[in-house]
Amino acid sequence: MSDYFINEKDFGDFLKRLVRARNVLGPKAKRGHFVFGRIENPEDLRLDYDVTILPPKKAFFPTCQDLVRFDGDQVSGCIDPVDQVLFGVHFYDVKAIDMTDLLFAERGEDRNYTANRQAATIVASSIQSVSPRAFWGSVGKEVEPKGHDAFLTKVARGYVYQSRTPKGSALLELGKFRKAEATELEAARKADEAVKKKCPETLKYGAAEVAKKVRAAFPDEKLWERLSERCFSCGSCNLVCPTCYCFDVQDHWNVDQRSGARTRYWDACLTSEFSKVSLGAGNSENFRESRGERFRHRILRKASYLNEKLGGPACVGCGRCAAACTADIADPVKTIREVMEAAS
Amino acid sequence: MKRHCSCGVSSMAVHGESGGRDAGANLFLPRKAVILRVEQPTTMERHFTLRLADETPLDFEPGQILEVGLMGYGEIPLGLASSPTRRNTFDIVVRSVGRVSQAINRLQPGDSLLIRGPLGKGFDLAMFRGHSVLVVAGGIGLCPTRSLIQYILDRREEFQRFTLFYGARDPQQQLFLKDLAEWRGSKTVEYFETVDKGDPGWRGNVGVITILFPKVKIDPGTKVVVCGPPIMFKFVIRELAKLGIPHEDIFVDLERRMKCGVGKCGHCQINDKYVCTDGPVFSFAEIKTLEEAL
Amino acid sequence: MAKARIAFFDFASCEGCQIEMTNFGDAAFLELLNHVEIVEFREALSEKTTEPIDVALIEGSFTREADRARLEEIRRRARVVIAYGQCAATGGINALKNHQTDYKEAVYGQDAGMPHLDSDKALPISVVIKVDYNAFGCPINKYEVLQLLSHLVHGKEPVIPSYPVCVDCKRRETVCRYHEEDHCLGPVARAGCGAPCPASGVPCEACRGLVDDANLASIEKVLVERAGFSASRAAAKRMLWTANQGSESK
Repeated sequence: MSDYFINEKDFGDFLKRLVRARNVLGPKAKRGHFVFGRIENPEDLRLDYDVTILPPKKAFFPTCQDLVRFDGDQVSGCIDPVDQVLFGVHFYDVKAIDMTDLLFAERGEDRNYTANRQAATIVASSIQSVSPRAFWGSVGKEVEPKGHDAFLTKVARGYVYQSRTPKGSALLELGKFRKAEATELEAARKADEAVKKKCPETLKYGAAEVAKKVRAAFPDEKLWERLSERCFSCGSCNLVCPTCYCFDVQDHWNVDQRSGARTRYWDACLTSEFSKVSLGAGNSENFRESRGERFRHRILRKASYLNEKLGGPACVGCGRCAAACTADIADPVKTIREVMEAAS
Repeated sequence: MKRHCSCGVSSMAVHGESGGRDAGANLFLPRKAVILRVEQPTTMERHFTLRLADETPLDFEPGQILEVGLMGYGEIPLGLASSPTRRNTFDIVVRSVGRVSQAINRLQPGDSLLIRGPLGKGFDLAMFRGHSVLVVAGGIGLCPTRSLIQYILDRREEFQRFTLFYGARDPQQQLFLKDLAEWRGSKTVEYFETVDKGDPGWRGNVGVITILFPKVKIDPGTKVVVCGPPIMFKFVIRELAKLGIPHEDIFVDLERRMKCGVGKCGHCQINDKYVCTDGPVFSFAEIKTLEEAL
Repeated sequence: MAKARIAFFDFASCEGCQIEMTNFGDAAFLELLNHVEIVEFREALSEKTTEPIDVALIEGSFTREADRARLEEIRRRARVVIAYGQCAATGGINALKNHQTDYKEAVYGQDAGMPHLDSDKALPISVVIKVDYNAFGCPINKYEVLQLLSHLVHGKEPVIPSYPVCVDCKRRETVCRYHEEDHCLGPVARAGCGAPCPASGVPCEACRGLVDDANLASIEKVLVERAGFSASRAAAKRMLWTANQGSESK
């Protein structure tokens, strides 16, 4: 594909036509924070956002999603993808989407996710503000984002738009784009490089070293108990994580008491119910009974278990977990540092 | 208004569209199976014999699982309790422990269930053929292993010695009573049974399942299958170590909380493995380094 | 299928949960009436019955020995008993008095000596009779009660969440109260309400009580460190609806 440029003053026009022509989802303000939401008015699009509360995977994997609906004896699927343009996704979230793309497609493709994903166009954008807990500059450097259809970088006097796919190029007709000049491309490259050095937090260890040591720390129950002492088992760290994809499934009837749905909800392995099985007569068994066991599972899953499959850690450094954790114990940078120090 | 879900949380920023236009195979769409026969061996368990509603055979391997459910109630993972060598029907045993199992256990012959599967990895029969086999089943661990037991009995010539240990909590908890009666007198399987606690009518062994080991000689080349409550594994594996059975030859059939059955929902994970897709049958060699397995 | 016979009863409470049920007035509730028959409901019906009932919804806490017989009588008649509302489920806000001695004077002033104000500790009705299910909340979430009844109509054990309110906030993408320099009991509060309060910028007060394994030491620390509470206020804060829960109740 090819690289384009659009003037600052033409950009507003482009957005106006884009939101009229397509279903656009982008970062918008919410009480001083940001969320991905439907953009109907270009002024609502906040490309200067630092990070959103929930990651954009919700566009393909909604926080609750019917899997099967029923009416009496009739049972039907409800895969029905909608065309949407995710506009302004930061590179770390693209990396996370790449991971969920792989995980939902492997060993039996889950069309409830992939159909939505395939129908979407992703326009990534350069990071203009850095969130206070971000560490995307230092984690998983071995993995490059690849699932986006275009990458938009703010440079002097306008934006460089690097189209990577036909879906990315399809948006060009909506704006006054011209071929980018070498100097503009160089400016974009420099801007994207420079911002990666601006993270307030840095993971000082390489992925392979972390994976090995964190895995080896599994039996150190005192360590995990200490790290999780203040944990509420509230699952916030899971629920805001762009690479978490666990879900619960529940059935319910509609009020007519004959139709209803089987629905999946984002779930969290930090909650105490997650691994609990009923044994009958009020008895149950919990395969991860303690906070420490659950806390450990999350860290190992982010730093070790999936590395081989994903080519790097299942963490992109967005810092959402650190920010969402009320007890402030979820920060992977701090946790991994403590585990590494305990191991040495 | 189109909607994505029925959860009632209306403030969701993203509610995609839906309306029934199916865009491909849906992993979560179940098939209908009709209940042909119901037996109730214990107060808690019911044994169902089923056939797919379209009367096609269910193509599965011993040890694989099904997600079995009812719309409005949910689904539960169950090991197939019969062998694919047995006609066009298949068996499951449902223990009344939760909202789904209780609903299923109210069903009668002629009623339907919804199933997904077969799912997961069953017993690798190529590993077993030409060898002696020992099955150690505790409690409802007899249900999933029955798929292998029946298979071996049906293709007896493909295997060498076949030994079966079965332990139940007490005589009232014994499952598959007809099978047990048959096995007790059988020459094709060396069957040993015990109960943790006897009753006045019980003349057999009393004690935990490991008391059966001294009663028969197990050759070192035997392939062993272990399935039962978590506590049982540790002790059985200790006995097997004494017999010099290598870890590669021990196969365990594990159970966990499971929602999707297709390696996505995360509930059945043991360390980095998914019981539903990497298992439920694992070789002990494969899981002995997984702290969360046993 | 015969309609399930449902009755509402109340003990020490404000009857706000019954009011909340009558607030339905929408299609959902009217549709439910096709499947259930309400045989006793003080806020909306004058009839009373003595016949067997399928589901008894009991509101209010047990505060007087004299109420024991009436609770037992309801239990005898009912196939299923639901403690609905926080007063019935845990003692709720009434249980605050279990930790005070001057509450009558504080509330009633010079009338504090009136004999009808005499009562014992406010306790959940489960201390007197077997409760099959709890519908938590002050007031109840009427849609949850609807789901509960819907499940019972089908003979399915209801799903009653035991995870914290944070889960619902995250699913709704609500800005955390702590990110607006506020406080919140969400991390230890039982969810199931859909977290409407934080979504409207109001802290969760745990009106559905505590989750089963609430980390109380941690919430007190958070209230001090992040919300600037004094230690004593932090300890008292979460008591409003949870005075019978946690270590203090023992």
